[in-house]
Amino acid sequence: MSRSATNRLTPGRRQFLQLAAAGGAAVVLSAAPGTTWAAPAAVRTRSYVLVVDGCRPDEITPALTPRLAALRAAGCNFPAARSLPIMETIPNHVMMMTGVRPDRSGVPANAIFDRAEGVVRDLDRSTDLHFPTLLERLHERGLTTGSVLSKKYLYGVFGARASYRWEPQPVLPVTGHAPDAATMDALLAMVSGPDPDFVFTNLGDIDRVGHSDLSGTTLRAARETALTDTDVQVGRFIDHLKSAGKWDSSVVMVLADHSMDWSVPSNVISIDLILQSRPELQSNVKIAQNGGADLLYWTGADADRAAGLAAVEQLVGAHEGVFSVNSPGDLRLGAEAGDLVAYCRAGWRFSDPYVASNPIPGNHGHPATEPIPFFVSGGSPLVAKSVVSSEAARTVDVAPTIGGIYGLKPPAGGYDGTARSSAFTG
Amino acid sequence: MPGSVLLWTRVTPTPESFPGSGAGPDVSVRWEISADQAFTKVAASGTASTGPARDHTVKVVAGRLLPATNYWYRFTLGQETSPVGRTRTAPAAGAAVDRLTFGVVSCANWQAGYFSSYRHLAARGDLDAVLHLGDYLYEYAPGDYQARDVVVRPHEPAVEMTRLEHYRRRHAQYKTDPDLQALHAAAPFIVTWDDHESANDAWQGGAENHTPGVEGAWSERFAAAHQAYAEWMPVRYEPGGQIYRRLEFGSLASLAMLDLRSYRDQQAASGADSSISSPARTITGTAQMDWLLGNLKSDGPQWKLVGNPVMIAPVRVPSTLSTAELAGVQKLMGGTSINGVPYNVDQWDGYEADRNRVVRHLRDNAVKDTVFLTGDIHSGWACDIPADPASYPATGDSVAAELVCTSVTSDNLDDILNVPPRTGSVGVENAIKAANPHVKYLDFDSHGFSVLEVTPAGVRMDWYVLAERTDPGSQATRSTSFQVQSTSGKVTRMQGGLQ
Repeated sequence: MSRSATNRLTPGRRQFLQLAAAGGAAVVLSAAPGTTWAAPAAVRTRSYVLVVDGCRPDEITPALTPRLAALRAAGCNFPAARSLPIMETIPNHVMMMTGVRPDRSGVPANAIFDRAEGVVRDLDRSTDLHFPTLLERLHERGLTTGSVLSKKYLYGVFGARASYRWEPQPVLPVTGHAPDAATMDALLAMVSGPDPDFVFTNLGDIDRVGHSDLSGTTLRAARETALTDTDVQVGRFIDHLKSAGKWDSSVVMVLADHSMDWSVPSNVISIDLILQSRPELQSNVKIAQNGGADLLYWTGADADRAAGLAAVEQLVGAHEGVFSVNSPGDLRLGAEAGDLVAYCRAGWRFSDPYVASNPIPGNHGHPATEPIPFFVSGGSPLVAKSVVSSEAARTVDVAPTIGGIYGLKPPAGGYDGTARSSAFTG
Repeated sequence: MPGSVLLWTRVTPTPESFPGSGAGPDVSVRWEISADQAFTKVAASGTASTGPARDHTVKVVAGRLLPATNYWYRFTLGQETSPVGRTRTAPAAGAAVDRLTFGVVSCANWQAGYFSSYRHLAARGDLDAVLHLGDYLYEYAPGDYQARDVVVRPHEPAVEMTRLEHYRRRHAQYKTDPDLQALHAAAPFIVTWDDHESANDAWQGGAENHTPGVEGAWSERFAAAHQAYAEWMPVRYEPGGQIYRRLEFGSLASLAMLDLRSYRDQQAASGADSSISSPARTITGTAQMDWLLGNLKSDGPQWKLVGNPVMIAPVRVPSTLSTAELAGVQKLMGGTSINGVPYNVDQWDGYEADRNRVVRHLRDNAVKDTVFLTGDIHSGWACDIPADPASYPATGDSVAAELVCTSVTSDNLDDILNVPPRTGSVGVENAIKAANPHVKYLDFDSHGFSVLEVTPAGVRMDWYVLAERTDPGSQATRSTSFQVQSTSGKVTRMQGGLQ
């Protein structure tokens, strides 16, 4: 990585910087108006959140992922950590950066039924997120932040909130994400270039391969290859921090947004199919499929709502693959999540509106996919060394934990998460 | 409990007040509990009444104590003062806890040897508590069940215990053992019963070792056993209540102690009996199952420990055993076995629907860090609990772990086969492990105890084996150690041992 990268400052509202990445490829970063490209020179603490998307905590082992395992062993590990509803990518990344639950952020799932637009769509717009994030709140305090997010919809929902952003590229056509090697190129370029105080990074390969690994129910061969490859990328990052002399000032938090569960082809639930026996219900319910969770929206007459939803809950709950049918309020999901949330059992998946709509064996969104890796490491003297904590860390704890490093006050209304201070000395 | 402990003793105010007599006066016994051994920092004191109605046993809940603190206690009746006992309160709810250390024991047959295991545990000085997983005492008459063919020391009374007087006297006899006394004086006990506290292979309506009519009604015998247990054991249980209960140790661990005798249906005739998978049959009872599943949850303390009187891991009998080996296994496990079917229908294997409920609950909710701590089977085991036994050989997916302590003295396979230890049993162990790949450790021969260490990083059990159970001064050595790393749900062999 070259620090003497070409600086292409563009007048106007957005600034762009093109940096040379490993192998001579170019990495293009954008910056908020008025942000300087010069790296702060003062002694400071750098912090990085690396999301190993879809990784299960038991998949981090010395044999399979030696760099991640070593990083975890050297810092403070939270083995009881879990994802929060809906156990999907977008809501949990939003919870990490806001520190609040979806009923306050407006982002409860990957996919919702947008009542205003009358369509099921991803929550991938910057305007979908209604709560301030760590990215702009730290920036407002005079610190610099960065986002290096491998998935298009994550880049979309976080938009221009960070001081420096990388738009994922190249994006693979089927998965909609940039490979981890490219994402890591971008992260290293950002650290070498503008060197923000805080960078939020998503590595999507483990999740994307986990979804599509057809050997997932037994062999998980491709999945393990992805884990190994992502581990190499994390190793690149650690090596880079050390070679650049930044390790001793760095806090590195690693976690997943959710884990992964695999279903066999026959274990498919279609709520649309379940409701076919009751056309008056089927025609008045919209379904937003989220893998292991389906969000159900009543679109019929208000007068029929209570009885209709009760009937839907009974029909759906009777399916052998359905684990539970919940009120969005009980899960703190907010109005965007609709009227009912159905979870599948482990080893099952939803597929709506058609049985063929979700052919992939790997899924998440349901309670079976809550456990996640969550640890704080790094060379900073702030980091507690070789500690394991029983505390029940959650994705929503990231913002208060990272914010605490910089003395950032809680947002209006306070955090829903908890600062995991046991990860730090003093 | 974080703020209280239960203290126990038994007094003999007059010569006629001997155990089981039902005679003697009501008396008041003074108790004290102190933060120091010299009793200069008495934290609480009082008096407790007892008499023949409860066989002159005394149980006191000493409250207003500090959490995670060592205390010493003693009793006084007239001019007599008891030996001083040491106990310890649990950590406060939600408190960070770095480490817990438990002694784990089961199956102590007086007639089969000496309780050296208790002595070794008492000498450690580092125990937060002792988990006794059942078969604290045995019901048999002298000569009915001992060390192979040798009655090392005969039971009192010299009959099979069937009446309240018998149960009280047998409890009293066990309490005279100096090693057991030493362990009770060294650490608090957390106990549950298995079958021999009443009769072999007990269920809610009877027992294998109960003959209705000749030995009275089962309901009366069961009630007598429970009354004596309530009187003579340091447990917060009284007749009419329930012994299954949950304890917490800060944010590190919870412990659910099960009762798998009071609510279960009768055992199936054999593993080939189709009723073993019937959802209508239960080993826990509906209320206890609901309670157990409610305790196995992802919020709350990290480790979900389950004091489990009989094994929950599925075990199939391999078809490669000789007839002699098979007969030995059958005798050890009880009942009849048929190749390729569950080998012990007295365990959860005989109540598959209940086990499936537990496994499914753990899997659907992704409940991590659940460990079953088990006794009963007179052998040491370390097992995964497969999410799906059929796919386990390929996936290795495990929802929990099971760690089984061996017997303090009760016969095991080499005793039954009448062969030297680690000879004839080794082939059987290997065959069972081959047929059940989730069984990672099996020792069919040794007697001894286990030490369980719980930390946020993992749960570890060390198995200690006695040199000779019939030697009152027997030494003990660590034979092996297995751990369950956090979030793994799997057992792995460890090198090194606890201090």
